[in-house]
Amino acid sequence: MAFSECLSQASLADCLQRFFATAPVDPAGMAQSLWLIIALPLAGAVVNGVFGKALGRSNTNLIACAAVAGSFLLSVLAFWTLNDPQAVLSSAYRRDPIPYAIGEDFGTWFAAGTFRAGFGLDVDHLSATMLLVVTGVSLLIHIYSTSYMGHDEGYWRYFAYLNLFVAMMLILVMADNLVLLFVGWEGVGLCSYLLIGFWYDDSAKAWAGRKAFVVNRIGDFGFLVGMMLLVLWVGALELQSRGTVAQPSADPWRVALLRSGPLNFRGLEEASRRIAPETSQITGAIPLDATIAQGPLAGFSFGSVLTAILLLFLLGAAGKSAQLPLYVWLPDAMAGPTPVSALIHAATMVTAGVYLFSRVSYLLVLSPTAMAAVALVGALTALWTALIAFAQNDIKKVLAYSTISQLGFMFMAVGLGIFWAAILHLVTHAFFKACLFLGAGSVMHGNAEETDIKKLGGLRKEMPWTWATFLIASIAISGFLIPLSGFFSKDAILHGVHSSALKGYAWVSPTVWEIGLVSAFCTAFYIGRLYLLTFEGKRAPDARVPHAHEADWVMRLPLVILAALSVLGIFYGIPLIHTSAGWETVMENFLSPVFVTARQLTRLFGTVKVEHEGSLLAAWAETWVIALAGGGLAGFLYLKYFPSPHRAPLPAERTVLHWARHKFYVDELYELLIVKPVRLASFVLYKVVDTLLIDTIAVRGTAWVTARLGSLLRYLQTGDTQSYAAVMVLALLGWAAYALFQVLR
Amino acid sequence: MVPIQHYLWLAAVLFCTGMFGVLVRRNALVVFMCIELMLNAANLTFLAFARQRADNLGHVSAFFVIAVAAAEAAIGLAIVIAVFRSRGTLNIDEIRTMKH
Repeated sequence: MAFSECLSQASLADCLQRFFATAPVDPAGMAQSLWLIIALPLAGAVVNGVFGKALGRSNTNLIACAAVAGSFLLSVLAFWTLNDPQAVLSSAYRRDPIPYAIGEDFGTWFAAGTFRAGFGLDVDHLSATMLLVVTGVSLLIHIYSTSYMGHDEGYWRYFAYLNLFVAMMLILVMADNLVLLFVGWEGVGLCSYLLIGFWYDDSAKAWAGRKAFVVNRIGDFGFLVGMMLLVLWVGALELQSRGTVAQPSADPWRVALLRSGPLNFRGLEEASRRIAPETSQITGAIPLDATIAQGPLAGFSFGSVLTAILLLFLLGAAGKSAQLPLYVWLPDAMAGPTPVSALIHAATMVTAGVYLFSRVSYLLVLSPTAMAAVALVGALTALWTALIAFAQNDIKKVLAYSTISQLGFMFMAVGLGIFWAAILHLVTHAFFKACLFLGAGSVMHGNAEETDIKKLGGLRKEMPWTWATFLIASIAISGFLIPLSGFFSKDAILHGVHSSALKGYAWVSPTVWEIGLVSAFCTAFYIGRLYLLTFEGKRAPDARVPHAHEADWVMRLPLVILAALSVLGIFYGIPLIHTSAGWETVMENFLSPVFVTARQLTRLFGTVKVEHEGSLLAAWAETWVIALAGGGLAGFLYLKYFPSPHRAPLPAERTVLHWARHKFYVDELYELLIVKPVRLASFVLYKVVDTLLIDTIAVRGTAWVTARLGSLLRYLQTGDTQSYAAVMVLALLGWAAYALFQVLR
Repeated sequence: MVPIQHYLWLAAVLFCTGMFGVLVRRNALVVFMCIELMLNAANLTFLAFARQRADNLGHVSAFFVIAVAAAEAAIGLAIVIAVFRSRGTLNIDEIRTMKH
């Protein structure tokens, strides 16, 4: 029914609801076209990478932006389609179709033995949210980059990498199985490496890229091992539960496992439903602590193997999302161009770990140990890096540590099973942190690439647009004075953490909650410090240029849009929807179809218990006061007490600053504990195995033996045909004599 | 009738003479003739056995050998002449090219 036609019969609200609940395109057709979302930026990357230099700057800009814009429009269409009740995904792994999801299986990607890896795309509300964030923020950053990289010679390389990154990130969020997700996971890592070392002439920047790559590789190794264990785990589960059902061949899960492989997310979801608590008597289900009878995992219980798998996933997620102990690459990643820091190292790629755990939420809730580990890693990271951010003077470094800290908040939420809050914070964080980074880029652009906040200051009047958007984003992240989107998403996490308890780990949630509160205080403080030193006060006397210039409108537009989004994000964090269970936030309600299995399993196993439903208003007030205190302290210190940035610090302060400024010597510790021993071992291996054993003995030794043998045998080669003939005759005689001897005997 | 052993002894002597010549003589033309001697020794053996067993297959083989030997002689003599023209000698110690 047309919208205008509807308006004559029903109220505006009803008509709007009906309008947005009708898919603009055929859901089945949309599902078949999902690959286009990836193909567009991929094609842009190929065209820009191969022909970019010949096409020229304007054409490259146009192609790069148009590819991402097309992707964004298709993502909007996909998002819209999901609202339609007809948009259902009929997965091969289960009988009933899945509502609010579309997907397409493009067949088997590769097969080895009984293992299959499919090539399929699957978009549900979680993927769709990520799709919009990734393509939307990417589009803004592409537009911003056309101006920011306007004078760089390698513009075509830059846009090719950026487009490739978008394509890889889209593979990551749309993949319907872990193997395909891993392709995107590695792909974004590669693009991150390429873009951190974008200015490879500078060896420090090239090294930063290498560091990011190597640290990520450690995490990816864990992830890969976890995936392999998961294959065995699903296989063991299938084998063990075969006897519990009447007709295994009629079970769609078993049939699909053979045809499409064990790592499909829908298949894993179905597998998690075959697990039951120890006491319950669900038919066809295996108890979590049952011992695996056959196969390589024989002797371990399903629960303990699953915990190991999830801890390995945590290692992978810690690498990609820069959590303790693998966070050290992200601050160095700031060597890349600032828009890259905004896109890859703040808004999208680093959230992959959070996305991964939300994707396999149904597995995570089966293991309280893994959940406690995730939450504690998140909490410690949030506090640790917030403390380091206190003393950093590089504007991008502060934001980098802040990113790690905010990712820590998301991990806290994931660890306590509040997945929707983690995703909400992911989305709002993408908006305000991208805005902050782009603002920082604008500041650097207008101040001759100055990044030291002690040498900036007083930019409020000189860069009004940057100032206003930076202020809004700062308020959004810290929750200072006016609660904006970040306040509500962070509070959703803290409130959720406070009111829930992990089974067997009752001490975790209060600990995490308290660390979270301290981290929120620290956030407000360091963001306040960053803002005040950059924009308020007087212009520093040792600034590089006497007057900063405001960025052009191409750079201002993304800033304004992102700042507006940081404000509008509030809408998703406020409980507006009334359900049977009480008031829910829009995000919680929107994502509930994704986490339905996780919620059922949580209830079944009692992994996370909601201990007390505290008042949300009281929690808001508490967080607000904390943010106010942090921001207020920063204001007091840097506006009133220490107006001059160049005074001598107090003795006690000096020690604290010294440690924080040197990042608590973690890099040095890793250097001593890991890098040095590895270097030493490599040196020994190089000298003993490579130089001595392989080069000298194996390679040169073979050549020496051959040469010596050759010069010995050379004496036989006289070149005299008659002597050869004589040898032949003698041999013949010898054989004849032998034959004669045999015959006579 | 002459017993077959006599033919065979004669053939063996001829063959050994030829072989000895091939191995020790230095003149290419003589080496060549010695090869003919060895071939004829083989022919003699064929014919002796053919006669003994009353089987014409031995004669056929002998004719083959004669035909091949004729072709070989034509080519071989041509080579000998060519070598003599280019080098002015037929001493095989001097015309060896298999070793530098």
